[in-house]
Amino acid sequence: MLPLAHFEYLAPTEAVEASRLLASPDARLVAGGTDLLVSMKHRLFEPRLLVSARRIAEMQGIVPAAGWLSIGASCTLRDVSRHGIVQQRLPALAAACRTVATPTIQAMATLGGNLMLDTRCMYYNQPAGWRASLGYCLKREGSVCHVAPKGRGCYATQAADTVPALWLLGAEAEFVSVSGTRRIRVSDLYREDGMNWLTVRPDEVLTRIHVPLEDRSVAHRKLRTRQAIDYAQVLVAVAAPAQRGEPWSAVVSSVAPRPILVESETAEGLAELSFRGSQPLSTHLASAPWRKKMVRVEVARAVDALLRSHAGSG
Amino acid sequence: MSEGSNENRPGWAVYPTHAGEPATGGVLGRGERKIDGRGRITGTAVFTDDIQLPRMLHAKFVRSTEAHARILGVDLSAALEIPGVVGYALGEELPKKYGVIPVAQDETAMAIGKVRYIGEPVVCIAALDEETALRAVRAVKVSYERIDAVLTIEDALDPRKPHIHEGSRKPSNILRRVFQEYGDVDRGFADADIIVEDTYSYPGSTHVPLEAHVAVANPEPDGKLTLWSSTQNPHYVHRDVAHVLGMREQDIRLIKPAIGAGYGGKCDPFCTDILAAYLARKLGRPVKIALEREEVFYTHRGRHPTRMWLKMGFKKDGSITAVDFKAWADGGAYASYGVVTSYYLGVFMPLPYTLENYRFESHRLYTNKPPCGPKRGHGAIQPRLALEMHIDRAAQRLGLNPAELRRANCIEPDTETCNGLKVTSVGMKQCIDAVVQASGYEQRRGTLGFGRGLGLAASAYMCGALHPVYQNELSQSSVQLKVDRSGEVTLFSGTADCGQGSIHMLAAVCAERLGIEPSDVRVIEGDTALTPVDLGSYSSRVTFMAGNACIAASDRVRAKLAEAVAAKLGVSAESLVFRGGKVYVADAQERGVSFVDAVWLAEERFGPIGEVGGYKPHKIGSRFRRQSVGPSPAYSFTAQVAEVAVDVETGILTVDKIWVAHDCGRAINRTIVEGQIEGCVYMGVGEALYEEQRYRGGLVSAPSLLEYKVPTIHETPEIETFIVETHDPNGPFGAKEAGEGPQLSTVPAIANALHDAVGIWFTRPPFTPESVLTALARAERSKS
Repeated sequence: MLPLAHFEYLAPTEAVEASRLLASPDARLVAGGTDLLVSMKHRLFEPRLLVSARRIAEMQGIVPAAGWLSIGASCTLRDVSRHGIVQQRLPALAAACRTVATPTIQAMATLGGNLMLDTRCMYYNQPAGWRASLGYCLKREGSVCHVAPKGRGCYATQAADTVPALWLLGAEAEFVSVSGTRRIRVSDLYREDGMNWLTVRPDEVLTRIHVPLEDRSVAHRKLRTRQAIDYAQVLVAVAAPAQRGEPWSAVVSSVAPRPILVESETAEGLAELSFRGSQPLSTHLASAPWRKKMVRVEVARAVDALLRSHAGSG
Repeated sequence: MSEGSNENRPGWAVYPTHAGEPATGGVLGRGERKIDGRGRITGTAVFTDDIQLPRMLHAKFVRSTEAHARILGVDLSAALEIPGVVGYALGEELPKKYGVIPVAQDETAMAIGKVRYIGEPVVCIAALDEETALRAVRAVKVSYERIDAVLTIEDALDPRKPHIHEGSRKPSNILRRVFQEYGDVDRGFADADIIVEDTYSYPGSTHVPLEAHVAVANPEPDGKLTLWSSTQNPHYVHRDVAHVLGMREQDIRLIKPAIGAGYGGKCDPFCTDILAAYLARKLGRPVKIALEREEVFYTHRGRHPTRMWLKMGFKKDGSITAVDFKAWADGGAYASYGVVTSYYLGVFMPLPYTLENYRFESHRLYTNKPPCGPKRGHGAIQPRLALEMHIDRAAQRLGLNPAELRRANCIEPDTETCNGLKVTSVGMKQCIDAVVQASGYEQRRGTLGFGRGLGLAASAYMCGALHPVYQNELSQSSVQLKVDRSGEVTLFSGTADCGQGSIHMLAAVCAERLGIEPSDVRVIEGDTALTPVDLGSYSSRVTFMAGNACIAASDRVRAKLAEAVAAKLGVSAESLVFRGGKVYVADAQERGVSFVDAVWLAEERFGPIGEVGGYKPHKIGSRFRRQSVGPSPAYSFTAQVAEVAVDVETGILTVDKIWVAHDCGRAINRTIVEGQIEGCVYMGVGEALYEEQRYRGGLVSAPSLLEYKVPTIHETPEIETFIVETHDPNGPFGAKEAGEGPQLSTVPAIANALHDAVGIWFTRPPFTPESVLTALARAERSKS
């Protein structure tokens, strides 16, 4: 087993205290640790201090409040997926939680951790010796992006399973830092840069995820090689129009540093627009052209699922 | 009795070995948990990495970051300054070459002067703990001068490319070329009504044992050494560690603890074994080396990526007139078992179908990648895909039923193939019948609609190699029994259970002969200080060879017990039955003694009871002297039908069900036989759907279990297993093998099912969604 480097571990009880500790570049917040510790073993980063989310009061519990469901960022994916209100009113979120890795990881990994998941790439998420043999990459220790050697950026992909569904559900993320509290729409949380993919600062602590209980009709689909363990090759969520005149919308992820929003006047047009709007790169072992085709298939299947459920309920 | 029989030679297994006899001991053929199963399930089994010794150091390797390069310098200064670093070793300190196959010993424990693949060990550093050793390894600077890397089959055949191993007299990077011809192949083709010819490509894949390679060495004050190793082949590790360290074999005690699987990946002696032993002696402290998962991918010894060309001639009635086969195997940087691979690629093709005219040529090549070696179904997996797809393609062209074509061509029992393989028991037709009937193959094939299909394939495999890898006339397996007045039977054998169940097999075979329960037998195995030699867990040899050795030893104990009990009861020894913990007169159960009393009587009469038994195969005279690799004392047979579904929008292939029938000769423990068959199918499904050791240049693309995909329970099909028993005349109680053979026909059954589903012959596994989708699109285009 790969050993971890030595680090200090602190478990504050208040988010603002965590934020103070996280102001140091040598510090990282750890929630479930299911991704962070693997990356640390791969020596992608070697923080001297891990700040635990486990005892921070603001990050706990799932509570309905005034038409919203407020989910503590420290709640595990299993807790979220098994919560009665999530199952009844936000089935797409429950489904997305259940497609993360494996049941054992869902029992450790948190919803907050999933939203804040590092971007991924086959040239980056590798052990230290392997990356040395490669000559490293732009995202870590190197100067070249092996996905796009002539490009100027890093194309590591956003791979968090719950993001497309939360995006279309209109979820908002609440951050606490020494400079105060702010709420950011999930749709505004990510940037088109694999190295610097979040619009928040490292010392801002994600405390809660607020999801409106509007009964929006959202379908989640994750295409992966195996039905457990694997990250998505293509991740989509599709929302039917809430009322006449609104467009159909899709959020396509796991193809770029930022999830892609696609809107279509018609249900039939959404898959083709999504296909045209996505440019997967070779960040996976599965090829980019096949993954691009799969965007169309998965969006079409999500649309079908929604149309069928509408037909069923209507 | 055939020539060279062991009959009347004391200490050797005697034929027949109770094959075909009714099981009198009441143990054979039951389905039950392994006697050592609970330890695995409860976590109490002691694996090599569980061993902790006082003052033990942990060592890690600096590994090459270059595929092919001269080592210009190694700068250890920063590493050695790290507190807690205790010592190191460089490649030059261990210059002796080694390898299991005597004609191809080309490996040193670590690189000397040059590196030949990315991941090759260059320096080994020992420290007080693993993390410190790892930090030290990362602080070492190795400077290289690159050499043109040899990365593909084309590169390896290109005489302009540099030699990976200097001093080779061959014009390019060829480890071994094998050419064999039997009958008149050209005439066979001239006589054919149709010719089927195509090329196939089979990917390299790796074993993925859950336990990585681990070694722990403890130096002893008298200069001797104890070495614990997670090996399938303690005997070969024992020999090679002694050789490289310049020690006498008897001064090394090699112990094989519980093993977390091998599948062929733990057949070689490894740098872990040699460096743990060497550093322990150099530093005077116990040393542990446990590989990381990433390092297991570099250590590899997996399936050879193989390119193949196959031409077969058929008569209109489906009989095979000739087979011509060529194979090129990309072997990586060292020989490992590659010489044997070059033979296995060709020698099993005349099974299980009657064939008079056969020619094959194979090349095993060197490339600058981690070494390939034996993986379950060693060398026979790749050509089986080509052969079984060719059979289906011929059936299609001739308008014949593929099952019938196979049945009509099956060899009969007690035949000799054109290349001199002497085949005894054959359950091929029974296997085909079982799976064809259960799956409804004949009624349902071709009727399931586009995207769903059924496919059939058959195969044969060996039960141990007739000839040992190094020339000797000693036993290939041996078992020693100690029986004392407590009634406990202790069985000692040099076998290496790597999860396949050989511990239980030995206990069951012994218990069957002595009329006790397998759980009454304590098995001590894989410890050179205690156990007599067995050559190891490879070539599906253990049940056949160690089972026979065990019968020989058990029968000697039984004879003494029987003689003593017979004298006491005043009956003949032949009239006694050993069963249910008693020894009694066959027709009068009340006239008997308990097993423990029988042991007392025997010890009174003969003194302490201890017996040994050894096994080596018959000397089977072959018409072909050069056929040293391939002959086996027996062959197992398998047939399977796969049912698959293709998602035509995504190209995703799903294997819904596999029906598999295997002729294992005789099932000693049905549960273990079924488990082995299921394991084979599972591994075959992995190779059909996902598994491939991919490279970016010389760098393994994804040395992790996240990206090297093996099936989870979700992708594992329902498996319906049929055990066919043919009672081989030379197997222990008629048993053959079950651990490897059943994998051979899984991938071809899936490939043939894929054709039934979408009408396309896929000649290159794994059948990835992308390759399926691309082929579907191409077929669509050519239609329009």
